[in-house]
Amino acid sequence: MQREVGSLPLAPSLRARLAAAGFQTAQELLETGPCGLSKEIGISKEEALEALQVVRQECHGGAARTAGGSGTARKFTALELLEEEQAQGFIITFCSALDNVLGGGVQLTKITEVCGAPGVGKTQLCMQLAVDVQIPECFGGVAGEAVFIDTEGSFMVDRVVDIAAACVQHCQLIAEAQQEEDHLKALETFSLESILSHIYYFRCLDYTELLAQVYLLPEFLSEHSKVRLVVIDGIAFPFRHDFEDLSLRTRLLNGLAQQLIIVANDHKAAVVLTNQMTTRIGQSQSTLVPALGESWGHAATVRLIFHWDNSQRLATLYKSPSQREATIPYHITPHGFRDVQPPAVTQNAGGTEVNPRKRPRREEEKQ
Amino acid sequence: MVVLRAGLCPGLTEEMIQLLRANGIRTVVDFVSSDLEDVAQKCSLSYKALVAVRRVLLAQFSAFPANGADLYEELKSSTAILPTGSPSLDQLLDSGLYTGEVTELMGAPGSGKTQVCLGIAASVSLGLKQHVLFLDSTGGFIASRLYQMLQAQTEDEEEQASSSEAGPSALQRIQVVRVFDIYEMLSALQELRDRLSQQVVSSTGPLKIVVIDSVSAVIYPLLGGRQSEGLAIMMQLSRELKTLAREFSLAVVVTNQVTRDSSTGPLKPALGRSWSFVPSTRVLLESKEAAGDKGPTQRVVALAKSPRQPTGLQVELDIG
Repeated sequence: MQREVGSLPLAPSLRARLAAAGFQTAQELLETGPCGLSKEIGISKEEALEALQVVRQECHGGAARTAGGSGTARKFTALELLEEEQAQGFIITFCSALDNVLGGGVQLTKITEVCGAPGVGKTQLCMQLAVDVQIPECFGGVAGEAVFIDTEGSFMVDRVVDIAAACVQHCQLIAEAQQEEDHLKALETFSLESILSHIYYFRCLDYTELLAQVYLLPEFLSEHSKVRLVVIDGIAFPFRHDFEDLSLRTRLLNGLAQQLIIVANDHKAAVVLTNQMTTRIGQSQSTLVPALGESWGHAATVRLIFHWDNSQRLATLYKSPSQREATIPYHITPHGFRDVQPPAVTQNAGGTEVNPRKRPRREEEKQ
Repeated sequence: MVVLRAGLCPGLTEEMIQLLRANGIRTVVDFVSSDLEDVAQKCSLSYKALVAVRRVLLAQFSAFPANGADLYEELKSSTAILPTGSPSLDQLLDSGLYTGEVTELMGAPGSGKTQVCLGIAASVSLGLKQHVLFLDSTGGFIASRLYQMLQAQTEDEEEQASSSEAGPSALQRIQVVRVFDIYEMLSALQELRDRLSQQVVSSTGPLKIVVIDSVSAVIYPLLGGRQSEGLAIMMQLSRELKTLAREFSLAVVVTNQVTRDSSTGPLKPALGRSWSFVPSTRVLLESKEAAGDKGPTQRVVALAKSPRQPTGLQVELDIG
């Protein structure tokens, strides 16, 4: 393997010593062997053995990957990716305008960032999504579980109970209208207790805990393979106070972003982050911009900004690789995250099967 | 800095190496730059043998000077100009992307860098029927959007007869590798280099362009703090990209982020001054707010660095 020594993942001091000793390619390293290596550079035999193992893994790991072998084979043609995408589901938000703007809902394998001023509804959306990800497939959901990482302490279980109860009720009404076998079977497992038991909640108090939690996620997700949503509510909070070294902050945040992308990609999960807003003072006016700086803006694939317009809440799609920018209004009701006006109700037998957000008129009268 | 080893050239035996090493001469550079009479005396080796070895080593390891005219002829025959799929961008880049060079697209989040990359991949795959390698490190590659672009382009060229075939086969020519780590990216590039140098003409086909979206996402986690290993790895990556572009006549397109000096300073490209020497052409994408209600915001592309055109040129781009 003609892989250069400088490009192998070894410790910097070791790399410097190898360069000084004149080694250039990985092939030379492997030929020398551990004894020769430890003699030439002046490191212990165990260290030399470890280093050679890393080198061997890197070089042969490449070969295993091209053969499409075990582990992370991430090479595809665009055609295969297209087929994969078309088979992928979305996590609906129960607000049909927002789902349309997002192209069907929150996408799996992508990072979505929700920014907004305090009180505009970010945590509400997160709780709604944690419930919606569990909707069974026959009702149009992805039937997955959710991981909720909370840094601000804003997760209220009673509110989740309300949202989950409304969701279950909604599905029950659809099942009654449709009267199909698999709907009724799915409803047996889709109850309030099961929804709550499939939301895995973690509380992180500072940035070290948050980083540790995110780096431990792959292990957790390999044990709980049904997880399809990871929510980090408040990624800005631990990083905004008490950080003197800003370049270290950028470095940590970018490392975090890459780790989250790896998690989203390997486990086919959607990652949703909430961010705060900060003021940028311009020459003549000041604007509200998302916090954590310019470089953080590149971390998320899809960016939504929630803001107020007098007393109406609006959501703007600010950044997306496949959808146009748009702004839509939304509402927070006792049942959760909803549209402003419920869409015109037509008892469309074929339609309601995949559109559980079209609530039948019966439910409204009960309110 | 290659270590002297037996068999490196005829006449360089193991005993010679041991004697030389005992006198502090370990690498080729040490050997070639030392006074041979001195060495012959100290190591009690024959002067003639040392001179012969030196001649062979120099021939093997030094760079070969080339004639300017030969170089020009070689460039003329091997450089190709690839269209980007958007005529205004082609105009800005002096008719397109040049092979053998690294071109950089930079912009704020949401300015359209990934869209332009997808457009380039679509146009090269569909129009020129060449293979494209797309290294995705941000997860922003959406195949359905690419398919949309391909279909839009097919309609423009009115290839209705073969349009049902053109889309999927164009998609098959675009290979996507997801690399989320700098070492994975380096090993993917290394793999590409091995494949090309062995000239395996199989399913890969003629590769002319490599698109990397984005390069700053994998380097940023290593920069900053008080460690300088990030810069070393960044330079390693840049060397890899430039050698790939030059040796195999590929066009390399990378995307980069922008940062600000302070919260009110102007936007500047990320990755610092060291990286700014790597690409030969730099293009800045900005989205200007549409005046009134003109519909979708306009994208403005400005040329920030170019070896051929005057900088400061601006065109408008439409991301369909």
